[in-house]
Amino acid sequence: MNIVVDLNRCQGYAQCAFLAPQVFEMHGEEALMYLPVPPEDQLERVRRAAAACPVQAILVGEEAGADVR
Amino acid sequence: MAADTLFHRITDYANRADPYPLYAELRESGVTRQQDGSYLVGAYHEIAALLHDPRISSDRRNRTAADAAATCEEDLPVSFIAMDDPEHNRLRRLAMRPFGPPHTPGRIDAMHGEIARIADELIAGLRGKDRIDVVDDFAYPLPVTVICRLLGVPREDEPRFHAWTQEIIASFDPTPGEDLAERQRSGLESRRTMGRYLGELAEKRRGHPSDDMLSAFVNDEGPDGRLTQPEIMATSVLLLIAGHETTVNLITNGVLTLLRHPEELERLRRRPELMPRAVEELLRYEPPVQMLPQRSPLADIEVLGTTVPKGAPLILVLASGNRDPLRFRDPDRFDPTREDNRHLGFGSGVHSCFGAPLARLEVQLALTTLIRHLDNPRLVEDPPPYRRSPVLRGPRHLPIERDTTGT
Repeated sequence: MNIVVDLNRCQGYAQCAFLAPQVFEMHGEEALMYLPVPPEDQLERVRRAAAACPVQAILVGEEAGADVR
Repeated sequence: MAADTLFHRITDYANRADPYPLYAELRESGVTRQQDGSYLVGAYHEIAALLHDPRISSDRRNRTAADAAATCEEDLPVSFIAMDDPEHNRLRRLAMRPFGPPHTPGRIDAMHGEIARIADELIAGLRGKDRIDVVDDFAYPLPVTVICRLLGVPREDEPRFHAWTQEIIASFDPTPGEDLAERQRSGLESRRTMGRYLGELAEKRRGHPSDDMLSAFVNDEGPDGRLTQPEIMATSVLLLIAGHETTVNLITNGVLTLLRHPEELERLRRRPELMPRAVEELLRYEPPVQMLPQRSPLADIEVLGTTVPKGAPLILVLASGNRDPLRFRDPDRFDPTREDNRHLGFGSGVHSCFGAPLARLEVQLALTTLIRHLDNPRLVEDPPPYRRSPVLRGPRHLPIERDTTGT
C-alpha cells in the first residue's frame, strides 16, 4: 500500500489525522505530514481516512505497496 | 404553486418522509423570498460558496428581526456554532484541544474498541427478539453511551438530559407558526438548566482530573488559555446534544436506506471494507442535518440573481445540494461505491462538523455490527414514523423484523 496526498487540495480538515493518527499527523493546525508507505496493519484506518477526506485529496494505491517495498 | 410557499411545505410534517421532490422544486426556482421573510438556497455550488463566504454570519444577533434564540446572557453565552470568527475560532480550538489533532490526535482512534463493544452489547441484548425498533434498541443508545463516556456525563442521567435536549431541538426548528416564540422560550430555559448541570459536573473535576473532556476543560491549560465556566457550560451543552442527536439519525437513515436497497446491504455484509465509503454516500443521500437554518448575510449579497438583504434569514438546504444534478451524476441513486462524493453532509468551511470523525467511526461500526447480526431483516412500515424536526431529520421509530432461527 502507498499513499499520495494532493497537498494543493488539502484544506486542513484533519479527518485523516483523527482516523489514522499513526499515518497522518497535523503539525500545527494546517500542515499535514504523512507516511507515504504506511505499515500494512494500517490499511483499514487508511481506508477510513481516505473516504473521510472532505476534499478527496487522499489517493490510496493498495496494490502498489509491493513494488515500493 | 408559487415558490414562496416552499419553506412552508418543506417544514410541513406531512412531507417529512420524503422532502426530496420539494428540494428539486427549490433548485428549479432559484433563490426566492419565503412568506416568513427567509431565503432558501438549495443549489450545491451556491451553498458551498456561501459556507466559505466571510459575509455570511452564523450569529443570529446579526439578524434584522431579533429572535429569542439569539438571546445571549452573561451566565450562559451562545455556543460557538452560533458565533463568527475570531471568537468562534478561539472557542472551537479550545474545545478541540482534548478531542483531536494537533493536541490529542489519538483520542477518537482509541475509542474504536469501546464503540465496537457497546454495539456488540446492544446486539446481544436483542437475542431472541424477532421484532426490533432500530431507534430505541440500537441507534439511540449507542451514540448516547459513547458521548457520555467521552464527555464524562453519567449514563444514568440520560432521561434528564434527553428531556432538555428535546426542548432545545424544538426551539431551533424554524417551522413557521404561532408557537415559535413559545418553543424558543422553553428551549432557552432547558438550555440554561442543562448548562448548569454540565457546569456542575465539570466543576467537580477541578483538581481531580479524569480521562474525559469535561475534566480537560477545567484542568488543562494550553497556549490559548482555557474556557471560562460559562463557556464550558455553553460548549458542553452543544457537544452533548450534537454528539448524539445527529448520529442517531445517521444510523437510522442508514439502516432504512440499506433495507430499501437489499442488494447493497448484501454487498456490505460480504465486504465490510466498503463501509467507510457507504457512510459517505449516506451522508450525501440522507443527511441527518438537512439544512443550516441560522445563517444571515452581513451585507446585501446576490445569490443566483436574487438580492438577499443584510440581516435576512438565509437557510442553506444541505440535503438539496447533495441531490443537485449539476454537481452529482445520478443524484437520486444511492450508490455506496460513488467515487466523486464531496457531499455537504457535515457542512463545509470553518463551521464544518466538529464531531465528524467520531460520527463516522460510530456509524461505520454500528452499521457493520448490525448487518452482520441481522438475519433476513425486513421493514415493517415504509415509510416509518418520523421525528418532528425538518432540520435534524430521521425516523422516530424504525420497526423491523428478522429471522431468529439459530440465535
